[in-house]
Amino acid sequence: MSFFLLIFSNLMRQKTRTGLTVLGISIGITTVVALGIFVNSAKAATEELLRAGGADFAVGRSGSADLTFSTVTEEEIADLEAYDEIEHVSGVLIALSQVGSNPFFFQFGINAEDLEFFEAPLVEGRDLAAGATDEIMLGTGATSELDATVGETIELRDINFTVVGIFQTGATTLDGGSLVPLAVVQELERKPGLVTLAYVHTRPGTDIEALAEQIEDDHPNLTTLLDLGDVGDVDQGIEILDAVNLGITILAVFIGGIAVMNTMVMAVFERTREFGILRALGWRTRRILQMVLGEALLLCLIAAVFGSVLAVILTQFITLFPVVSAFITPQYDIEIFLRGLAVGVGVALLGAIYPAFRAARLSPAQAIRYE
Amino acid sequence: MSDAPVIDVRDVVKTYDDGRTLALDGVSLTIGKGEFVSITGPSGCGKSTLLHAIAALEEPDSGQIVVNDKEITGQRDLSRYRAREIGLIFQLHNLLPNLTASENVQIPMYEISISARDRARRADDLLGLVGLTGKEKKRPTQLSGGERQRVAIARALANEPPIILADEPTGNLDSKASQQVMGVLRDIQREKGVTLVLVTHDIEVAREADRTVSMLDGRIEDTGPG
Repeated sequence: MSFFLLIFSNLMRQKTRTGLTVLGISIGITTVVALGIFVNSAKAATEELLRAGGADFAVGRSGSADLTFSTVTEEEIADLEAYDEIEHVSGVLIALSQVGSNPFFFQFGINAEDLEFFEAPLVEGRDLAAGATDEIMLGTGATSELDATVGETIELRDINFTVVGIFQTGATTLDGGSLVPLAVVQELERKPGLVTLAYVHTRPGTDIEALAEQIEDDHPNLTTLLDLGDVGDVDQGIEILDAVNLGITILAVFIGGIAVMNTMVMAVFERTREFGILRALGWRTRRILQMVLGEALLLCLIAAVFGSVLAVILTQFITLFPVVSAFITPQYDIEIFLRGLAVGVGVALLGAIYPAFRAARLSPAQAIRYE
Repeated sequence: MSDAPVIDVRDVVKTYDDGRTLALDGVSLTIGKGEFVSITGPSGCGKSTLLHAIAALEEPDSGQIVVNDKEITGQRDLSRYRAREIGLIFQLHNLLPNLTASENVQIPMYEISISARDRARRADDLLGLVGLTGKEKKRPTQLSGGERQRVAIARALANEPPIILADEPTGNLDSKASQQVMGVLRDIQREKGVTLVLVTHDIEVAREADRTVSMLDGRIEDTGPG
């Protein structure tokens, strides 16, 4: 019998206790992994938004509390277009409203002329016509959710729009929403002459980082958004999510650690005599340590696997709801599952170190006499 | 049997309860290679304490214990000594309930370099030696008291130690099982030439030894042939 099988066999002695401990730790790991999946998904969605329409980067209002609160004026867009390195700037006003069962249906207000640069590849139909005020283009996600096709009329914020085209960009937020004439969205949002973000397309060979730096120097009230690391300048949401994720991970380790400690302390107390026998039969303290830590580690690894599988099932289930799927597509990055595994190992070590040392330090003679 | 001392206990004193209880009061004893010695006496006379001291389970307050020319008293870690030099048999078999007979016999072998396959083979051979062929896969609850004690004997032999220390090995057995266990121990002691030190309060069991050591109040009162 290998040492590993011996460890496994020891865990199986108290099946109910082992099962309940695994379940308890699994719930913690499920929380950590599921939250990690959603945070990463939200980050991916935000990053997609920064590069929407194939832009090199976006420009927003510095210091905005939320990305959607950012406002860039038409004058500032004109200033941006004056840079030699910039080929085109597409101003997009982002708005949200309820459509059907989705309370967060995105409308991206955009000028029809900008669609020449703002990439929204058509799957069916055509782009918005210049000057039209009653046309809408739907992303493929929105189409399936609204069950609408080209030529049909849909009501959005008490206005009837004709679906003229269906597009697919690969970005969850865009594909789950719609492209609407900018003037219409500005009127609905009461934001005349304003957009949320300016999407910048540069000329070939442009040093994008140098250009972004120049723009920020020239316009202190604007911030350039090249990647996720810049989002904190216009939105604290991701940072808050990261902080919550870290907090829950630490909590999961501590709560899980206490559960493991409880289980392992009970196991060590119950098996005091057994440890004495093992020491009397020549087992070194190190081997006793290995056995107890191994039992805790195996317990937590089983919980990590179980918890990760549960997290995947849970996130798949949650994203069945349009309110969630409109924003994110679950991102199952290996890093998230490694974090779940790390939590499992952390929990095992935290919970088992005391009982393992207690078991290893038992006097053989006293342990044998223990009843 | 040889007269060369394998175990040399020199003026050993052991107390408990901060010195209030005297368990061993200057005990000296030499045991030769291949000798079968029984230590007998009433409950509380110190015979188990003496055996535990020789097994390095108890550290004496004073005195020396030398086994195979190596002093074991005052040593920090005697795991290697317990794993290779001695085989221990307890009154209660102390088998692990979740393991089969064969797996229980393998327990001491984790401390020596031997593959899992060889461990299993050696354990099955030892179970055959104690008359338990066919019971390798049985768990302790599926064995009789005598059979469990024979598994414990096989376990004590796992690492082929030159010394077997048995603490009341028949204490919990009926007379028939006692005779079987003693028969196995005697045969092994003779065939393998191991030194056997057996603690018992049973005079009949004690008489089977080459030499009997009688203890009273922590002292050796008498030594004579078995």
